[in-house]
Amino acid sequence: QETHKLYKQKLEELTKLQDGISSSIARQKKQLKELSLAFKNCKSTTTAEQEESIREIEGLIKERQSVFFEMEAYLPKKNGLYLSLVLGNVNVTLLSKQAKFAYKDEYEKFKLYLTIILLIISSSCRFLFNSRVTDAVFNFLLVWYYCTLTIRESILITNGSRIKGWWVFHHYVSTFLSGVMLTWPDGLMYQKFRNQFLSFSMYQSFVQFLQYYYQSGCLYRLRTLGERHNMDLTVEGFQSWMWRGLTFLLPFLFFGQFLQLYNAITLFQLARHPQCKEWQVLMCGLPFFVLFVGNFFTTLRVVHQKFQCQNREAKAK
Amino acid sequence: MQETHKVYRQKLEELNNLQDACSSSIRKQKRKLKDLKYSLQRCKYTSSPEECDLIQQINIQIKERQNVFFDMEAYLPKRNGLYLNLVLGNVNVTLLSNQAKFAYKDEYEKFKLYLTIILLLGAVACRFILHYRVTDEVFNFLLVWYYCTLTIRESILISNGSRIKGWWVSHHYVSTFLSGVMLTWPDGLMYQMFRNQFLAFSIFQSCVQFLQYYYQSGCLYRLRALGKRNHLDLTVEGFQSWMWRGLTFLLPFLFFGHFWQLYNAITLFGLSRHKECKEWQVFVLALTFLLLFLGNFLTTLKVVHTKLQKNKDEMKKL
Repeated sequence: QETHKLYKQKLEELTKLQDGISSSIARQKKQLKELSLAFKNCKSTTTAEQEESIREIEGLIKERQSVFFEMEAYLPKKNGLYLSLVLGNVNVTLLSKQAKFAYKDEYEKFKLYLTIILLIISSSCRFLFNSRVTDAVFNFLLVWYYCTLTIRESILITNGSRIKGWWVFHHYVSTFLSGVMLTWPDGLMYQKFRNQFLSFSMYQSFVQFLQYYYQSGCLYRLRTLGERHNMDLTVEGFQSWMWRGLTFLLPFLFFGQFLQLYNAITLFQLARHPQCKEWQVLMCGLPFFVLFVGNFFTTLRVVHQKFQCQNREAKAK
Repeated sequence: MQETHKVYRQKLEELNNLQDACSSSIRKQKRKLKDLKYSLQRCKYTSSPEECDLIQQINIQIKERQNVFFDMEAYLPKRNGLYLNLVLGNVNVTLLSNQAKFAYKDEYEKFKLYLTIILLLGAVACRFILHYRVTDEVFNFLLVWYYCTLTIRESILISNGSRIKGWWVSHHYVSTFLSGVMLTWPDGLMYQMFRNQFLAFSIFQSCVQFLQYYYQSGCLYRLRALGKRNHLDLTVEGFQSWMWRGLTFLLPFLFFGHFWQLYNAITLFGLSRHKECKEWQVFVLALTFLLLFLGNFLTTLKVVHTKLQKNKDEMKKL
């Protein structure tokens, strides 16, 4: 029990230190912001030497900001809006590098296992069971899967992972899509689209499985080489580091994205069918279209950047 | 400032080490206590009356020690239960100070209060103003999300030392399932026959829950100030033993709500035998409402029964 008292004492000391550091970081950040703003104002009325020194100082400011970013990853932080709504104000900052890494590892395992489960269920819905009930169970699982992903990704972002905007947003869109599919009543329109949707889900789960499996291996290799940040994650898209060994995934990804476009077109056509009276058709068509546009253009941008890089290297030689 | 940060990181490591040490020693002691209890139970059969008294005393001390461990563990990082592990992963959700726990509990109760008001407004709008399946869907999705979030937050509270009784947690899972099935019920003759009843029931339930949370918070505050209840006791959707002191007026409302759930179940059973009923949702919903009625009614009845017994005992003493 004495150990416990000692523990509680240290806990209090630590909490005080945390508050102290958080407030001093907040103060310094504010000062840096004011400084940046002041520089911007001055920029229009400066000489060449002054511009150089300003640029140097801005470089230093950026360094300082990344130092702060790293420091903050170890301090308790307030949750964003989404996490506050779902979890409340419990602190989700993992306070050691090991814990962060273990959490990230578990997130990736979760995605892998759930993708396999979704693949199995969508194939059984497509080929074995033909009832709306099992489809509803599959859709509920999809909704739950994407919701859980959004929660876990918010926790990862709070802990310092740099996940790009579209990849997080696209989980929200997928949740919405699955939710609308859930409410679509059984009928002529539903039966016309069902098989296409299930086949698409099977293909998507399969490609995601490939992605996560190969990405983990690739990331592990790159991390040991020291070329990527520890908190980089496996994602559903193509990122710049994937050129080193995962280029074979690109055609699969593009094919999946065009399947999404095809789904959207099919749904838009079904919406114009004389017997179509369900609002879900149009409301499923739009998310599929948004997903296609977002996925396609984000992936295209990565390809474009790579070509630009290669062009520059060819010119440099 | 960077030196402060280094000191901070050092202390963080020391703290982690202390946490591990405390957790492992508590675990060892708990195991020893279990062994002790087991061997005492075996001795019970072959002991004299004095030894029996001694054994009882030791048992009481063991219970006290277990309570002490429970309180200590509330401040140490704990592994999450299955549900939290599935949803959140292995992030630690133990709030490490009494203040933080209390603030979290407070926020949970505010969340329930605000969401109940929003659900009340939504149910009223769906019942009287908007008559579309779409707005009903939105209302149902909100219900599903509300109950899911409640289950997550309650799991976090239980990890942090709140003593929430079994039924009140499972009944949120059952409600989630109920709202989910309502969600998939396609628009049709059966749905239209049940819809108004369901929305009226939701309005009544939201009203009663609002009354409960509002008055329970006040009552709990008073009792905590008098030192009679644990800090982490929560507002719940049922009737608990401490509510006799001032909240007895809620009982008839609660029982009326339970019987309305029974009426919903009976209506749905009747509908499922209608010749035009071909949806599986009707029967499943009927069973779920029946389950909710039984759980709520019997749990509340047990509290009333306990109170009446206590009154009888007190009368006998006087």
